[in-house]
Amino acid sequence: MTSSDPTNLLASVLEADGGSFVELRYHKKRSRSLAVEKGRVDQARVAEHTGVGVRVLESGTWGFASTDRLEQAAVQRAVDSARAAARASAGARKAKVEPPPPTELARGRFDQPGYDELEAAPLEQRLELALELEAAARASSSKIQSASCAYSEVFEEKGIVTSDGAKAWTRLVRPEFRMMAVAQDGGEMQRGARSVGATGAWDCLFGRASAEELADEAARMAVDLLSAKFPEGGRRKVLLSPSIVGLLTHEAIGHTVEADFVLSGSCAAGKIGQRVASEHVTLCDSGASEYYPGAGGTLSVDDEGVPAQRTVIIERGILKSYLHDRESAAHFGVAPTGNARAWEYDNEPLIRMRNTYIEPGEQTLEQLIAGIDDGLMLDGPRNGQADANGEFMFGTLQAWPIRGGVRGELMRGVNISGLAFEVLGTVDGVAREFQWDLGSGHCGKGQPAKVDAGGPWLACEVLVGGRTE
Amino acid sequence: MTTTTENFDLAAAEAAAAKRATDLVDRALAAGADQAEAIVTQGQSVEVAFESGDLKQTAVDEGATLGLRVFKDRRMGFACTNQTDGAALGGLAKDALQLAGFSPADEANLLAEIAPSEAGEGESLVHPSLAGLPIDQVVARATTFIAQATGVDDRLRTDKASLSFSRAATAVASNAGAAARESAAAISLSLFGMAIDGDDVGGFDYWGDFVRDLADLQAVQDASIERYASAALGNLGAGAAESYHGPVLFSPAAFQDVFLGPLVSASSAIAVQRGRSALKDKLGAVVAHSSVTVFDDPADTRLGGATRYDREGVPATRFSLVKDGVLQGYLYNGYAARVDGVASTGHGAGGARAVPGLGPHALHMLPGDGGDAGDLRRQLGRGLMVQRFSGSVDPASGDFSGVAKSARWIEGGEQVRPVRETLFSGNAFDLLGKVLAISSQSEVVMGGCRVPWVLVDGVSVVAG
Repeated sequence: MTSSDPTNLLASVLEADGGSFVELRYHKKRSRSLAVEKGRVDQARVAEHTGVGVRVLESGTWGFASTDRLEQAAVQRAVDSARAAARASAGARKAKVEPPPPTELARGRFDQPGYDELEAAPLEQRLELALELEAAARASSSKIQSASCAYSEVFEEKGIVTSDGAKAWTRLVRPEFRMMAVAQDGGEMQRGARSVGATGAWDCLFGRASAEELADEAARMAVDLLSAKFPEGGRRKVLLSPSIVGLLTHEAIGHTVEADFVLSGSCAAGKIGQRVASEHVTLCDSGASEYYPGAGGTLSVDDEGVPAQRTVIIERGILKSYLHDRESAAHFGVAPTGNARAWEYDNEPLIRMRNTYIEPGEQTLEQLIAGIDDGLMLDGPRNGQADANGEFMFGTLQAWPIRGGVRGELMRGVNISGLAFEVLGTVDGVAREFQWDLGSGHCGKGQPAKVDAGGPWLACEVLVGGRTE
Repeated sequence: MTTTTENFDLAAAEAAAAKRATDLVDRALAAGADQAEAIVTQGQSVEVAFESGDLKQTAVDEGATLGLRVFKDRRMGFACTNQTDGAALGGLAKDALQLAGFSPADEANLLAEIAPSEAGEGESLVHPSLAGLPIDQVVARATTFIAQATGVDDRLRTDKASLSFSRAATAVASNAGAAARESAAAISLSLFGMAIDGDDVGGFDYWGDFVRDLADLQAVQDASIERYASAALGNLGAGAAESYHGPVLFSPAAFQDVFLGPLVSASSAIAVQRGRSALKDKLGAVVAHSSVTVFDDPADTRLGGATRYDREGVPATRFSLVKDGVLQGYLYNGYAARVDGVASTGHGAGGARAVPGLGPHALHMLPGDGGDAGDLRRQLGRGLMVQRFSGSVDPASGDFSGVAKSARWIEGGEQVRPVRETLFSGNAFDLLGKVLAISSQSEVVMGGCRVPWVLVDGVSVVAG
């Protein structure tokens, strides 16, 4: 495979083909990853997955095929296979798909920073650091039973050419760093974890905290949680950290406004122009890293060749837009938003989020805490999921009670739930400091996608799943 | 490579995979490795995908993945690629050895020795009915499937569904005796969606399964649609549950996620060795109620993980994890076995794109004598029945917390309403000792494991 511009070869296939709508996407994905635990190397890995994905629209039906060769004859055979697949299934397609209407398509080269810098950096240094940090975490307390440290970097190169004019070559790199510690005291075992992910070079990972600080935080979290209690469950006033706000924006709102889900009847269907949140909430999804560089879901061009712009989903509480690919945008009569993304060359593009966030407000964190009489502060994202009816769930690692405007001692994290638009309607405080904090996460929707999310600290009401006796 | 389904020959693919694996091992040894293990998978699939009830796309995919693990002076490196030309194969050995060059040495970094006599046993995973299926037949099967699913009830909105036909060959070779070859063919189906009735949008549900014999497709299709549709339609009209601390009835899928997941994770010998297992030092000890028996049966071809070999080419055999509530053993792959000086239990796990992991193949939980799910609801009397878990379980501590999905409120032993905004939590390891009853039949969960319905006491339920 090549590291030179693949778009000319792809364009030459299209010139020779001359058939119906065709989208060609060369995608080279090369990753390097390390994982150490308790002084042993579990993973030292180089992986490559490279090829060309082909999507054709034939007889009003999509067909998809792929090839692992960037050669004109192989790509042409893939076009023929995709076309055959479309023809074979055209009889079963009820509503014929029209070719996507003309729109602004990307042409040229679009690189995110950091690719060359990370590619040139020796992996050996990363392994030395991982071993040092893991050992330091274990040495930090006699209660730490195990620690692990993982680092990975994914280099992606894409060439996207469509028969209606896109011709873009993009490159980006996404590094991730994870630290985990397990502490034990008697029969009690607790886990602490910190992770960061970015689009960009090494420095993008550690803008807020150094690798050493993240390792120390993970170890301290595991030990401190041993003596922490569970908070009381029920409907509670909560103060969500930027990482949890990220989960809220992604899980609770983002999925419900993906246009394919809207067309199936998600709770956001038919609500454009309606109030769905308090006036404190302006929620966006952007291909750019707003506020500061490095957000993990950053991309310049989506996998249909559409420039990946910023989309305002909710503006001061009013639902303004869904997230679209070219087909759904045509259905709704709007411009595509650059949200079509494919995980690897042999996956077809789906509507996915990129960097999703709530815009910062005016208050300080201290002012928000002082304004809560009885509630919880929640931090440390775990997993999350949203439902068609807007019911969401996500897990947190740490909680602190707030009584009379004062933060108390650490408690164990809990899972929280609620109905998305109801919860957004309860937002009554938004801090002014913004943070991306979900860059080490992946979104799952049939295929994974690298995303980021964040925002400021935010006050609202949710259902807290504490223990009951 | 790109071909049509008609010219993909699975037997030839298996032979090619075995040859490539051997070739990779030879290249690595020639490049200076002390030991080398290669895994090659080669396959083809046709997937027909539906969105909002209409055919979205038909995709044809064919390709290979090659993974190479090398040891040099007890240092390990791994590389994988989907490129199959000579330059890529040479590059794999070079990349893996380069990584091994700067990894620290580990005394346990040696491949498990496998004698030529240790051939895996079991049924073929390629039924003649699925030796080959043209695209138009796959599309026809898929169209029938989606028509049946969408025809159940006008209120059902199937957001996404698919039917795929896949064939794949896997070969593992090493200079420590591994010479495993296996092929498999299957039709898989999946459904994801919700029910909508006016302004009432029900919570989503999903289901999936697979068959290895075309003759079984209609029955599995019927059962999958019934499971998916009844859950999604039953989610309409959701109301409040009640907060309490006590018994909850778990469906097989929910019990698998909340209880068997952490049990298996803690049974990993690596988790035990690294000090992150709650089951450390508990071999032979009671870790669950005496009615709980869990084992791994890789010969059960009804389950997707059925195999004759593990990821490292070690024969996969039946393994008892928990019997009558007592922990019987830990799961070992080659590395963990070397650390403890024992033999691998054949639980090397994973594919060609990563270093072998550790896990079961085809998990079973033995049914009990509690009757059917209705009998367990009557035993529960009043409380929560959970069909799907949306939450998190800490594999180290066993603490779990999440939302009860497709959940029902039970009164007088009967389902009285679906519930929403209901969270439940507890500790999996503690509550495995509080099993009150187990149904008399197990069910296949998403084609992956066999688990019964289980009534468990001591769960915290918080209703919104």
